[in-house]
Amino acid sequence: MQLKAEVLRAQIEEKLPCAFTVYRRPEQSTIATGIAQIDNEVQGVPLHALTEICGSDMASSGKTSVLTSLLAQATREHFCALVDARDSFDPVSGHAAGIYLPRLLWVRCGTNRMKLPPLEQAFKVADILLQSGGFGLIAVNLSGIPERVVRRIPLSTWFRFSRVIEKFSAALVFVGEEPHATSCAGLVLRVASEPAVFSGNLMMPLKLKVEVVRGRGKRPAYPERYAGYAKKLPEGVGASLSAQSAQWA
Amino acid sequence: MFACFYIPDFAVQAALLPELAETRTSLRTTPLAILDGPASLPRVFATNRAARRAGIQTGMTKLQVETYGGVLLRKRSIALEDSAQSALVNFAGRFSPRVESASAGAAILDLAGMEKLLGAWPGAMREMTAQAAEVGFELRVAVAANPDTAFLAARGFSTDASSRSPRSGSIRAGVFISPGEEAARLSSLRVDVLPVSPEMLAILNSWGVHTFQSLAALPAVAIVERLGQEGLYLQKLARGEVSRPLLTVEEKAEFTADFEFDDPVETLESMFFILNRMLEELCLKLLNAALAAQELRLTVFLEVRHLQRSENEQELYRHEWKLPVPTQDRNLLFGLVRLHLEKVTFSAPVRRLTLEVIPVKPRVAQEDFFAPPAPEAEKLEITLERLRGVVGSADEAGIACVGAPNLVDTHKPGSFTVKHFSSLNAPHQIQHQQPERSKPMRKTHRLAESKDLYSSQISNFAITLRVFRPALETSVELTGATPHFVRLWSRHRRVLAASGPWASSGDWWNPSVWWREEWDVALKTPAGPGFYRIYRDRMRDRWFVEGIFD
Repeated sequence: MQLKAEVLRAQIEEKLPCAFTVYRRPEQSTIATGIAQIDNEVQGVPLHALTEICGSDMASSGKTSVLTSLLAQATREHFCALVDARDSFDPVSGHAAGIYLPRLLWVRCGTNRMKLPPLEQAFKVADILLQSGGFGLIAVNLSGIPERVVRRIPLSTWFRFSRVIEKFSAALVFVGEEPHATSCAGLVLRVASEPAVFSGNLMMPLKLKVEVVRGRGKRPAYPERYAGYAKKLPEGVGASLSAQSAQWA
Repeated sequence: MFACFYIPDFAVQAALLPELAETRTSLRTTPLAILDGPASLPRVFATNRAARRAGIQTGMTKLQVETYGGVLLRKRSIALEDSAQSALVNFAGRFSPRVESASAGAAILDLAGMEKLLGAWPGAMREMTAQAAEVGFELRVAVAANPDTAFLAARGFSTDASSRSPRSGSIRAGVFISPGEEAARLSSLRVDVLPVSPEMLAILNSWGVHTFQSLAALPAVAIVERLGQEGLYLQKLARGEVSRPLLTVEEKAEFTADFEFDDPVETLESMFFILNRMLEELCLKLLNAALAAQELRLTVFLEVRHLQRSENEQELYRHEWKLPVPTQDRNLLFGLVRLHLEKVTFSAPVRRLTLEVIPVKPRVAQEDFFAPPAPEAEKLEITLERLRGVVGSADEAGIACVGAPNLVDTHKPGSFTVKHFSSLNAPHQIQHQQPERSKPMRKTHRLAESKDLYSSQISNFAITLRVFRPALETSVELTGATPHFVRLWSRHRRVLAASGPWASSGDWWNPSVWWREEWDVALKTPAGPGFYRIYRDRMRDRWFVEGIFD
């Protein structure tokens, strides 16, 4: 019986060499976001995986700032691409945040009268960049795209992106209002900010709170999620005022 | 030693050169006549062997040829002949750096010192003929001690029946004439092979001089007395005694390919086919010259009828590609051209195509080991072109849609440019300490604490402005001079806190003058407070929302 099984296996493997190969996910390495509180918890944005950073479009959630900080870190060691669905990236802010602009490929969608709408342009561009290879981080900024439009993206698209990115040593980051990739995402961060204040004529730095909605790493860092709770980072990121450094529940 | 490459029926072979190899092979066995002359009365200018066998003769009218049936007719193209001659000279450059373009369809090579490199002459001639077949030429090679003898042998024996193989009847690959045997080997050739005027030829024929042998046997003094120095020169040519230096072809600095369609074409496929062939020719030239393309320029001539031409229609379309890495890769160049033309709409059919390559020395060194992993430079160009095909090349302000963001030396808010993105242009050492500009850079927001935003360790969290392009025009209700309500997305939003006004102006010395007052405001929104930057354009007295601190 054993012999027959081996013969059968050999015959199948002769025709389908990968038939009995166990699929292994690649070793997960990360790119630091540059925000110590996030990096301490989730070790940065994972390579070979899809990441979503979510936050409100109307209120100042801080998701664009997280993305900018991530790009600033990533451009130190990698060539990066930013697919800007609404052409909302500010190079002056980016440079001030530390992004090394010569290593950033900025693709501005929806700026002229092309046939495709901006969202489709962004996804098509992301697809081309993934196939091209060579970029350490591909960020797709969907901020400003109405939520009802993003929701129409079929799950198969997210699944395809997640499978393609697994083969490359790169991180694929989507920034939007809500998470949509569900289980296809390796990491989902929801960011929000505490109401900022003005001190006289000067604006105080935003105090950020980050919630890990979904995480997939080497270490089981978030046991709470199995119990149905997401972990909230303990400290407001960027807080500079000692009076506002209270713990977030 | 000198070799001569001679193309029999040059006009015919030049006309067939743009065709595919299979088509060319099949057309060689089909009767083919090249017509030339006025459109009202074209006459046969050249024929191939099959046409001659069928009875087609040079000088026949088109009507006479059409009575034969089954004869393929082509119009003579000087451009194709020039292109073929250029290709022949380039091909000869594979074997010797000293090449003379002797006449239409003939090139003479100086092979002095090449004996060891090329090997024995019969084998070398076979190799030359085989390589010529790959390029698309049916070639005749002759090797002799002086250039004129090689030329006359190649020209004479290619039309002479004795040069054909007795078994197959095809033309033999080459003729080798050893030094000292020139007169004997050339003796059987007819005198009309010589570069002789019709009047001189008539005189020789009237004397009964029809071959080289009979001309060479005449006494030299008597020839000078009757025909002058020209006659003596012809006799020396017939004896193979003329020795002269080669008039070598000067290396052209321009690498240009040109093609004119018989009839204007409207489909891209037709253009792509020709462009591919043109690029193949250019890349072969680059390869032979040990150069690589740094720039590629395409000119498309459109067939615009003057009666229908409007103001917007132009007869020319030009585009150029500046490559970050010099390349000889035809597929890369063709990919760039194809991806660009797929998104271009021409207002009229295409009449003519011109491609020009700016050559430079090819890249000889690879990148250093400490460079970060980057997209492959050649492949990146194709990727960028594909991206431009999706998002467009430039926005309405003329700023590129794909590239690396670049700051502009100005205080005007929202000023930036987009440079060409290349993995080679970015320095490996990051310069974080100071921006490139001489002026202090404008801060994106007015933070309460001064932070070293350029420090190598980004431990602080920098708030980023997410801009609205173009800025959203809005209306603002003021309480005194401070914004109280801001209309945003069709709703009035109450201002929770405001900071301002921050006045700025500039460019007052030119038409693009700007003058604005900025406010950083916290607006009450359903999702929570949102920090927006609004500004009042004092030139137009209007309010705009520039972006959100996000």
